[in-house]
Amino acid sequence: MSFYTKYLRNTLFLYFLFLLTSCEEPFTPEVLERPNNFLVVSGFINSNGPTAIKLSRTQNLSEEGGPAMETRATVTVAEENGPTYLLRETAAGTYTSGRLPIQNSKRYRLVIKAGGKDYASDYVEVKQTPVIDKISWQAESDGLQFMVTTHDDQNNTRFYRWEYEETWEYRAYYYSEYEYVNGEMQYRRPENDIYLCWQNNSSKNILINNTVKLSQDVVSNYPLLKLPANSDKLANKYSLLVKQYAQSKESYEYWDALKKNTENIGTLFDPLPTQLTGNITCLTDPAEPVIGFINISSVEEKRIFVNKSELPTGWRPPSMHCTIDTVAVKDLKEHFSSGFNIPVSMIYSDMGAFLGYSGASSTCADCRVYGTKTKPDFWQ
Amino acid sequence: MTQLYRKAFLLAVSLLCCLLHSHAQTRAEQLITLDLKDASFEKFAQEIETKTTYRFYYDPTTVDSLLVSMQVTQKPLKEIMEQALAGTELKFAITPQGAVLITQGKEFMANLPENFFNREKTTASGTTSPAGTSTTTPYMAGGNSKKKAVSEAKLYVIGVKRDNASGNANLAGHLRDAKTGEPVIGASVYIQSPLLATTTDQYGYYSLTLPVGEHELIIRAIGIKNSKRRIALYSNGKLDIEVEEDVRSLKEVLVEAEKDRNVAGMQMGMERLDMRAIKQVPTAFGETDILRVVLTLPGVKSVGEGSTGMNVRGGSTDQNLILFNDATVYNPSHLFGFFSAFNPDIVKSVELHKSNIPARYGGRLSSVLEVITRDGNKKKFGASGGIGLLTSRLTLEGPIIKDKTSFIIAGRSTYSDWLLKKLPKESFSKSSASFYDLNAQVNHEINSENTLYFSGYLSKDKFQLGSDSLYNFTNHNASVKWKHIFHNKLYSVLTGAYSHYGYGVNSEKNPVNAANLTFDMKQANLQADFNYFLNSKHTLDFGASSILYNISPGSLTPVGGESLVMPDILQREKALESALYVSDQFDISPRLSVYVGLRYSIFNALGPREVYTYAPNVPKTESTILDTVSYGGGKALATYQGPEYRFSARFGLTDHSSVKMSFNRMRQYIHMLSNTASMSPTDTWKLSDANVKPQVGDQIALGYYQNFRANTIELSVEGYYKKMKDFLDYRNGANIILNHHIETDVANAEGKAYGVEVMLKKLTGKLNGWVSYTYSRTLVRLNNTQVSEVINKGEFYPSNVDKPHDFTLISNYRFSQRFSSSFNFTYSTGRPITLPIAKYQDGNATRIFYSDRNEYRVPDYYRVDFALNIEGNHKVQKLAHSSWTLAVYNLTGRKNPYSVYFRTEEGKVKGYKLSIFGQPIPTITYNFKF
Repeated sequence: MSFYTKYLRNTLFLYFLFLLTSCEEPFTPEVLERPNNFLVVSGFINSNGPTAIKLSRTQNLSEEGGPAMETRATVTVAEENGPTYLLRETAAGTYTSGRLPIQNSKRYRLVIKAGGKDYASDYVEVKQTPVIDKISWQAESDGLQFMVTTHDDQNNTRFYRWEYEETWEYRAYYYSEYEYVNGEMQYRRPENDIYLCWQNNSSKNILINNTVKLSQDVVSNYPLLKLPANSDKLANKYSLLVKQYAQSKESYEYWDALKKNTENIGTLFDPLPTQLTGNITCLTDPAEPVIGFINISSVEEKRIFVNKSELPTGWRPPSMHCTIDTVAVKDLKEHFSSGFNIPVSMIYSDMGAFLGYSGASSTCADCRVYGTKTKPDFWQ
Repeated sequence: MTQLYRKAFLLAVSLLCCLLHSHAQTRAEQLITLDLKDASFEKFAQEIETKTTYRFYYDPTTVDSLLVSMQVTQKPLKEIMEQALAGTELKFAITPQGAVLITQGKEFMANLPENFFNREKTTASGTTSPAGTSTTTPYMAGGNSKKKAVSEAKLYVIGVKRDNASGNANLAGHLRDAKTGEPVIGASVYIQSPLLATTTDQYGYYSLTLPVGEHELIIRAIGIKNSKRRIALYSNGKLDIEVEEDVRSLKEVLVEAEKDRNVAGMQMGMERLDMRAIKQVPTAFGETDILRVVLTLPGVKSVGEGSTGMNVRGGSTDQNLILFNDATVYNPSHLFGFFSAFNPDIVKSVELHKSNIPARYGGRLSSVLEVITRDGNKKKFGASGGIGLLTSRLTLEGPIIKDKTSFIIAGRSTYSDWLLKKLPKESFSKSSASFYDLNAQVNHEINSENTLYFSGYLSKDKFQLGSDSLYNFTNHNASVKWKHIFHNKLYSVLTGAYSHYGYGVNSEKNPVNAANLTFDMKQANLQADFNYFLNSKHTLDFGASSILYNISPGSLTPVGGESLVMPDILQREKALESALYVSDQFDISPRLSVYVGLRYSIFNALGPREVYTYAPNVPKTESTILDTVSYGGGKALATYQGPEYRFSARFGLTDHSSVKMSFNRMRQYIHMLSNTASMSPTDTWKLSDANVKPQVGDQIALGYYQNFRANTIELSVEGYYKKMKDFLDYRNGANIILNHHIETDVANAEGKAYGVEVMLKKLTGKLNGWVSYTYSRTLVRLNNTQVSEVINKGEFYPSNVDKPHDFTLISNYRFSQRFSSSFNFTYSTGRPITLPIAKYQDGNATRIFYSDRNEYRVPDYYRVDFALNIEGNHKVQKLAHSSWTLAVYNLTGRKNPYSVYFRTEEGKVKGYKLSIFGQPIPTITYNFKF
């Protein structure tokens, strides 16, 4: 290939690249400052375990901080033509109960009295969640893909929603052998060990799938999440807990619309956002929007573990920018008393003379900066 | 060629003349007996030729209106001839050789007029021809049955002059380009006193009823030299006119429609764009784009950049009838709408009707966009094309039988696919996008009364974004037209057309879910149109049409053995849409004319099909299905019908200003289903049926038109009010694809639209172009609880295309014959959007709550484009003509939002705007023609 044609070709590539890149940029309209204070109901009625319903209020988009929780409300689960069960506020805005005596053949609704107004959901049928067949994972070229497989022999479920919780072992970059206590440098006591911690995270995206178009009610290897190959979650040992909820068709549609509105957008062929209509209405003022959809189902869970040894050998988390400082004995107080720096080990000269201690910042030596030292009950 | 024949004939005549005197009286007179009643002159001549040795020489057109009735026994020829030609302008001479020469007007001349052979030359070069003979001496044409009028200086005599001639006679014929033989469309053909005018139709045909006598026929049209023909009309006759292309105006004229059509024409809300105008508007990828230019016209909007879906006067994108050589095109775009489906090299003109839609058209609520392709060159072979950064084009054309049959073939393809594959970034290299289209057309002139047109079109698009689904869509169109001229005043066009549109989405990533999703629709039309120029006051159009639809609304089929996908095939939809129409354009006086039309359409949704019946007076949902009714093949399961009124009137206030008004009713039986704002390939079409009613729209429009400075500046102001009933809007969360009961996801909405459009055009001069401003609103309401949930509390809300203010400037400046530049500016109010108004915590994530539908707007849109055209030299005779176009699209690099959206990322609500052409895009295109 002559220099000229090569040059021309490269120019064309650049041209095309130029057309296709840098299309998206942040945008914040100014018109969105109108006050709003709508009731938000989240959670579901659990037919085989404890139920938790969270009540909060909407905020303006620009508002900083978390939303206001709706406290001192009355929340009950009512059986159609039957008894009602009261939920108790166990934390601000969170109303819980133990396992409710829910019968699969009956219909139930949620009734709320909050801010002087009455709210109620539609009566909802109870969905039985089938067991999760397996949670599998596959190392792909660019990361670790987790998938869920499940099925319903009765072909009854059809609509599925998942949530997950991930937990992983986290080790500090340096192992701290010493601790600086009350102006004294001493060997770190085992109960003060800050090398090994656990971090956790829960799903934020809406994970739903349906099998309406399949001849059998089978979900095969539905992709739940993908961790990048260099994720620090995979540095040691990783665990994923998947919770599966059977959905009614209406509930599925609500989640689907919510997903479309808030996640699946940004392409050229976007659907228009739709105003969500949940199944909760304000009885006092029917025009007032209420956000949320109440579904009743059982929950199925499954947990798996992935060890680093099972992963491709080339996978490595990016190394942290950690440096070690040498601290002379006279400087120990100045250096370590704030707790910002953590002593690591003793330093000796080549001749064996004691020089002082090495130290590193807490982000490099204290695993508690990112995680918790409490070992989860389920950890193997 | 005809010139040569003429000269040879005249030469022969003059030679004979020389012999006349020297050999006089050399043969005995033959006596003739005849008994003729109302015989044509041809018959008369034949009769004599069989009985004697005399031979007749004449131009058939000079005698075509002469009828001979006589009863003679044993009379000499001279006496018979005198009797036959009595009272006409015809003269005769009998040579000693037995040749009978019939001439018109003056006595037979023994010698050619002085300067005879030079005359052609002097008139062509534009100097005044010598007074005298050239304009007063009639000119005898050769053996052709029709005249081809080429010269401005000659007097063309039509019919036979009789002394007592008076009243009116009709003149008809075709107007053609002298160089290529292509018909000239939309040209004004008129005389000035009294002002009698007509416009050539899409075949270049005109028919004009004029008072008998001499006239100066004036011809004005886009891209041809303004010219005139001297005629002497004595009886009904034909005159084909060949006119010269205006080479000088190659890049000068922007929109030069019939110069005073704005004021004098009957049409309102109609725009005709010539290819020349279209070519000057810069586009994003450097390629001339028809739809992109149509979008700059007042009243025509699009949802966003990169989408060719048109919204005309507040209508939705499916309310436009797009005809490509009379075949319906369902998806007029390529490559996500960045290119329009029409190859610019083959298109001759584009006509958009947006308010007064002729009765001939029906089936869509908002507009008719007619794209007409060029005829192939009837005289010589040629090729043209262009090389751009993303596409290349090639067109071949030429005669098959010279002056009778021609062909034109055009192809276009893109190399974007190849480019994407070479890109280093993975998401690009796994993507692909390609398209091509092919056009072919053959015209055959059987004889002067019958012409056949064959046209075919094929386009295919394929694209894959990322590595998941592969999309493709195709358009196939074919049409056959037979134009038959019964006589001067009546002609008919019989059209058969076939259209096919289909798309497929193929997804094979997960073997368990691997499937193929397809949609496909076919349409066959048969249409007969008649055009009757009753007299100088009335022009009648009437005809009938029938369309058979056959739609496969969707099918999902598994791919591969592992796939668990259940085949899901929606029932076919069939329907027959038929219409009858009649219209009359009545020119009451030179100031006042009216157009009255009535179209009656009947729609039958046909079986075989199973139809759900729903509980009455509640919204249709799955839970309100009462029963399933099965209809057999060909059985009508629903019938809708109704009249469509078309009325318009023009009143001329002065010679340069007029007011016009129109009222229109349209009915539409086919609906597009799409829950995205722009036209995307996964949009499907749905026929009206027992559960989906047809849409009906009424529009009333009023306009004021004025021309300034000898018709070089046109001002038009048009206001309209439109009401639409039963067009489809979507319920929240509608599912459009593979829905067996789509009626549960859509709702019949009502809409209204109104606006004022102001346009100022300057047609000629170094600086030309147009400026337009539009104020318009378009509103929708869904408040019938028996149909669907109520949206926005049952109030009218702005539709997706409601952009109140719109300003467009299209300008062109010619520095010299070879350099010209174009400058465009467009501004419009941002389109409505449903914005998030609140955020809330749901589980672990922050989510957003949306406002009422379309309560807010995206930022305003504006864009500046600039282009420079460089022509090769203007030698008429050279191997190839070439030109370069350098253009910059979006000169200021404004990041106009294509869409604005909010996304929950890592639990936080973030707003984004997506702009497609967010920086200046330079392009260069090379065009050639030889």
